Amino acid sequence: MLAYIVRRLLIAVPTILLLIVASFFLMHFAPGGPFTSERPLPPAVLANIEARYGLDQPLWKQLWDYLYNIVVHFDFGPSFKFKDRDVNDIIAQGFPISLTYGSLSFLVATTVGVALGIAAAIKHNSWIDYLAVGLGIAAQALPNFIMGPILILTFTLWLGWLPGGGWNGGQWPYLIMPVIALATSYMGSIARITRSSMLEVLNSNFIRTARAKGLPTRTVIWRHALKPTLLPVVSYLGPVFVYVLTGSVFVDIYFSTGGLGQAYVGSALSRDYAVLLGVTILYGVLTVLVNLLTDLAYAWFDPKIRY
Amino acid sequence: MSLFSVKNLSVQFNTADGVVEAVKGISFDINPGECLGIVGESGSGKSQTFMAAMGLLPPAGQATGSAMLNGQEILNLPVNKLNQIRGDDVGMIFQDPLTALTPHLRIGQQMREVLQVHEGLQGSAARARCLEWLDRVRIPEAKRRLDQYPHELSGGMRQRVMIAMSMLCNPKLLIADEPTTALDVTVQADILDLMVRLQKDEGTAIALITHDMGVVARMCDRVQVMRLGQFVEAGETREIFRAPKHDYTKTLLAAMPRIDAGDAPKALEKVDEPLLKVDDVKVHFPIHVSGGLFGHKVPLKAVDGVSFDIRKGETLGVVGESGCGKSTLARAVLQLIEPSAGNVSWLGHPIVGLRRAELNKYRKDLQIVFQDPLASLDPRMTISASIAEPLKTYRPDLTERERKKLVAEMMERVGLKANMINRYPHELSGGQNQRVGIARAMINKPKLIICDEAVSALDVSIQAQIVELLRELQQEFGLSMIFISHDLSVVRAVSNRIMVLYLGRIVELGDGEVICSDPIHPYTKSLISAVPIPDPDVERSRTRLKLPGELPSPMDPKAALRFLPSRLAAGENDYVPLLSEVKPNHFVAEHDPLEAIMAKA
Repeated sequence: MLAYIVRRLLIAVPTILLLIVASFFLMHFAPGGPFTSERPLPPAVLANIEARYGLDQPLWKQLWDYLYNIVVHFDFGPSFKFKDRDVNDIIAQGFPISLTYGSLSFLVATTVGVALGIAAAIKHNSWIDYLAVGLGIAAQALPNFIMGPILILTFTLWLGWLPGGGWNGGQWPYLIMPVIALATSYMGSIARITRSSMLEVLNSNFIRTARAKGLPTRTVIWRHALKPTLLPVVSYLGPVFVYVLTGSVFVDIYFSTGGLGQAYVGSALSRDYAVLLGVTILYGVLTVLVNLLTDLAYAWFDPKIRY
Repeated sequence: MSLFSVKNLSVQFNTADGVVEAVKGISFDINPGECLGIVGESGSGKSQTFMAAMGLLPPAGQATGSAMLNGQEILNLPVNKLNQIRGDDVGMIFQDPLTALTPHLRIGQQMREVLQVHEGLQGSAARARCLEWLDRVRIPEAKRRLDQYPHELSGGMRQRVMIAMSMLCNPKLLIADEPTTALDVTVQADILDLMVRLQKDEGTAIALITHDMGVVARMCDRVQVMRLGQFVEAGETREIFRAPKHDYTKTLLAAMPRIDAGDAPKALEKVDEPLLKVDDVKVHFPIHVSGGLFGHKVPLKAVDGVSFDIRKGETLGVVGESGCGKSTLARAVLQLIEPSAGNVSWLGHPIVGLRRAELNKYRKDLQIVFQDPLASLDPRMTISASIAEPLKTYRPDLTERERKKLVAEMMERVGLKANMINRYPHELSGGQNQRVGIARAMINKPKLIICDEAVSALDVSIQAQIVELLRELQQEFGLSMIFISHDLSVVRAVSNRIMVLYLGRIVELGDGEVICSDPIHPYTKSLISAVPIPDPDVERSRTRLKLPGELPSPMDPKAALRFLPSRLAAGENDYVPLLSEVKPNHFVAEHDPLEAIMAKA
């Protein structure tokens, strides 16, 4: 197990390196640059600015310097758009926000989704099942950029219960709507996967054995059926976790939460090379780690899987 | 008074196509301590009868009538009442031991919860009772098993665990639903022996649901023959076998191949130029094992140096237990898997390592029929399209009309009706699909067909029809066959010669009748003696040769020398037993005397 974790982390190093190199070149090959604008700068000024940020160097030299600074100084460079702020600052400011409402959304989506799915499967073809399936499909059809405006309309403009945006250090009135907006559609998918997985498990031979042994229904469900049911859910949860942790540009825009999602999309549009690369690396590292966690979780759910 | 009494029981299923009546008002009794056999083919309703009585029907099923246990009505009881009976008064074991245990719970956990629920027994007392029962079902190293997960045990061991688990509370009735159908023949014999002993020692009544008349002959006091949801015949086992009254029972008995029938096909004349020559073929799969930072690979020797040849018009039977390399050998012969070493030649031309285009020329003459008829056909192609596909490859000159005519002829030849041409595989029965598989293999008039467990998934009566069809086709087209099966009785019925495989190597090869009636190698002897014979008098008077230990894993380096303990003792772990011709045309692998092997236990 330990050898497996070490091996996976070792493989992660070239993976992340490849990600950096590929993103670096893709970014530079995209037309335009951080300092192109509708009103062109005088060539002498442009050359000065580019020299300041090292953009006049050959690409391989820029890449080398970038990697060198990361490895030696853990410095992801200055932002090209925001003067006096570097990438480390921007991530340090935005990521905790995204992490907070993202992990809360993940918790809500998983618990409510799994609970709905299990209830539907146990009461298969009853009104509970139909209600859960209906809710699941409705939730799945409501991506966060639809949920955002609906929530603000309802709770801020009509009912006046919740503030329409802002972060305020993550106080709970400011958290509720971003969390719900982000969680809803994932919750729908999780409910549907859990339901169909549980139905399949309840039909399997070992559940028949458990019933034939005279075990009470709740033991059959919780002790025998739950773990195998969650196995396919876990493989869906891995990617969702990364996506949700890094926040969402729509949530950041609708609720002015100031998370990393907005910074990421903004940096791509304005060719803020350093910010874009920095956040991409963060996403990459998170993906690698969460994939490892998912694979380790499999071993807990299924004893056949051993590393 | 009878222990279990069923009166006028009916089971209905509400399906999308309307109400299906699976069991149509049947009545029977089971007396304390007796073994009642319920015999019938798939879909006869024999399992559903007991599922209904135990409240284990799927939600769409409904049961009416009466089922009394010890004078108490149990049919359609609420679940909490039924739970006091299930696992306590009535134990159940099922067909597929590989999927019958919960995969993420340890054996001990699964056994203890039965005692917890029914007797409130916990802790060391419960553990002691579990250990006692694991010992009684003869599980080696019982203590260690308690902490193992189901996947760490072989199929036979898992079935023993199931039996131990269902016997924990000393039930009065044990319902065994096809308990040995998925098991190898020697394992089947062990499990049946075990059940006979439990019946005697504990006085447990057994309801044995099976399709296998051989198992009935060995086990049952009385038999109920079931067909289409009704009983067609009932009586004492000996009576039923001696003088079956109903036509269906007669058909069922006639369809069962017997290993002691003595009418195996005769050996063919030896010829100089065999059709197919297989020379020292090996197939090794690299298996990843953990250890060190990156682990390492060891070869799994699925086929380890097999040589044989096949003459024109001959059938070679290949038998052996699961994991012996039968199917891998078939695929290696056809170059569906590239052999790791060795040679295969077809009419003198080597076909190993050929490029695909060249190999395809030979494939026209070399065809295969697989085990699972439904899964081996493309579900999105009509059966006529599947049958016609080889024609498109090998006879591109044919017009559409000519091709259709050939397909129609072949369908008629294998017994498929002309109006089925546009059907899809899921619309046909298993037997019909296997006819499609045979038609597809036969359409280009090949010279050799490999039947890889081609009849194993079929009901006995269908199995008999398919075997008959293969025989006729062989006569008609003079084709050769390699007939692979774990069922020795079927193999004997069709094969001129039989080859016995053990862990990737030949242990015995000879004429079919000789192998079955006068085997020499201890492994062959134990296999033959474990095959149940559908005749109660013969079956119950036979003695079984039981080799010590379970069928070992192919990954065990010492397993290959199980029959040469003297070489193992001498430390020669890599020794390869020699295959020598002890009598004309009868090859036997080197082995120690039987007494030496038995003494190892």
